[in-house]
Amino acid sequence: MNAKRILSKIVGLIQTAIGGLTMFFAFFLFYNLFAIQAVLGFSAEGIGLYLWAFIIFGLLSIISGLFLFYEQ
Amino acid sequence: MDEPHLKRDLGLIRTTMLGIGGSLSAANFVIIGEAAGMAGYAIVPIVVVCGFLSLLTMFSYAELGTAIPLAGGEYTFAKVAYGGFTSFLTGWFEWLSNMFYTALSAIGFAYVVSYLFPQINLPLTAVIVVIVFAIINLRGTKETATAETIITIIVLAILAIFVIGGWSFVQGPQAAPPSASPIGILGIFAATAYLFELYLGAEAVAAAQAEVKNPGRNIPLAIVLSAVVLIALYTSVVSVAVGIVPPDVLSHQSSPIAFVAEQALGPAGAILITVGLAIAGLAATNEAILAQSRVLYAMSRDGYLPKGLCKVHKRFCTPHVAIIVGAIFTVIFAATGFVNFVVYAVNLGFIIGFSIVNLSVIKLRKIAPHLKRPFKAPLYPLTPIAGIVASAFLILFIEPSVLILGLELGIVALLVYYIRMVGHHRIRIAFGGISLGLGGFFAFVAYLLGTNSIVLHGVSQEVPTLVFYVLLFVSIIQVLAGILNLIASDR
Repeated sequence: MNAKRILSKIVGLIQTAIGGLTMFFAFFLFYNLFAIQAVLGFSAEGIGLYLWAFIIFGLLSIISGLFLFYEQ
Repeated sequence: MDEPHLKRDLGLIRTTMLGIGGSLSAANFVIIGEAAGMAGYAIVPIVVVCGFLSLLTMFSYAELGTAIPLAGGEYTFAKVAYGGFTSFLTGWFEWLSNMFYTALSAIGFAYVVSYLFPQINLPLTAVIVVIVFAIINLRGTKETATAETIITIIVLAILAIFVIGGWSFVQGPQAAPPSASPIGILGIFAATAYLFELYLGAEAVAAAQAEVKNPGRNIPLAIVLSAVVLIALYTSVVSVAVGIVPPDVLSHQSSPIAFVAEQALGPAGAILITVGLAIAGLAATNEAILAQSRVLYAMSRDGYLPKGLCKVHKRFCTPHVAIIVGAIFTVIFAATGFVNFVVYAVNLGFIIGFSIVNLSVIKLRKIAPHLKRPFKAPLYPLTPIAGIVASAFLILFIEPSVLILGLELGIVALLVYYIRMVGHHRIRIAFGGISLGLGGFFAFVAYLLGTNSIVLHGVSQEVPTLVFYVLLFVSIIQVLAGILNLIASDR
């Protein structure tokens, strides 16, 4: 396995993890687990927008990361 | 496509029991309480209406199940009728709704058991049930209609005792006096969309067509018989429940039917109902895990999803990767313990699936008029059209957050489909560009934070520094990922 492939695997794994954590964060935010909305000072009206942003960012990161991780 | 040849040894009674058993989940007897809170005494006619709405689509299932002798249910019907993205989308939502249904069955089991053991942690119990049955499915299960029939008969017998005992109580002087139901028409529609879940699972009759003797006669008969039995069963259970305990009291119970049984039959009644519903809940969880893993397996086998998902375990001969992936997602939703959200998510998935089945009937009647159809949906095209209209109408009353989730999952489906079907290299370049853009954005936000152009209020001094480094790290990773995707070779 050459250096580029190793780097791709590492970066892909980290990017996927970032995406996954962001999705979890969105999940916590949606259900307001641990009163996270109040802790972060997010208004109830703005939650929908934050959710969209986090979910889309999470999905893009996961897909991009998986591309790198499974690079032939 | 080579499908394993299965022996046709299911007669009318056992086929009917498959349909009844497929619908008997512990969760159904939990959500009755919430629905009673929504609809008041109108819950009784709503249960009947839901049964008839479901029956409309069951006719379509019967027609397609007997005309297309391949395993796979809705996904296979859509593949034959439409192919391409429609069949992928159908399989996608079929998998998701079965996954949500697994979570719901496990949560329903936890709620039912909590009536006798209130100290149990509901989400944890649901998660443990999912994990245990995922392991059982990994090791392989023998789908025996006999076991299903026995479980169904036990649950039906327990529910019959409840109805007969409860009915005597309703006739007695201790019954709750009936009162007016102060709900509007919107409440009735919302409760109808919520209770639609009651009859899901009856389509198992059509799915098992390969094992049914004389399918042209027995499948439609079994579908109608199971629908009639289920409508009668749920209507009598709900009538007795709201006859003994007022709907507003019922809506606050973790296991409404066990609570009613305790009022009418004493503690022994509550124990009997809890045992019966717990058995039903476990059986439903097991079947749902089996169903969702097989859908994921079939979609992977057809090239719609990564090939790894259709790997079969060498020793146990089960699609272990599909089971594990499905179980991971199920555990996440079971861990929420939120019944209402999961009920609406199940309903949304099945409503989409039902609509596509009805559309497939219409499409196949047009493009394949000479296809051998041992059974034809009566009053065609009224029944499939009525099924589609009813499904579309019910979607309007599904919780908005679930609709948003459904839309997002539809977008994910679109992405997954095009990643699989469109040139892989071009998609990678697109994602490389997106990652670079995201990296630049995060670097900019980190810069604003570092120069105090953005100020975080109400947090300790360390938090902005921590956020700065996190953003910087994310930015570097996104930029690196972008470059690596852009320079990837075209292989």
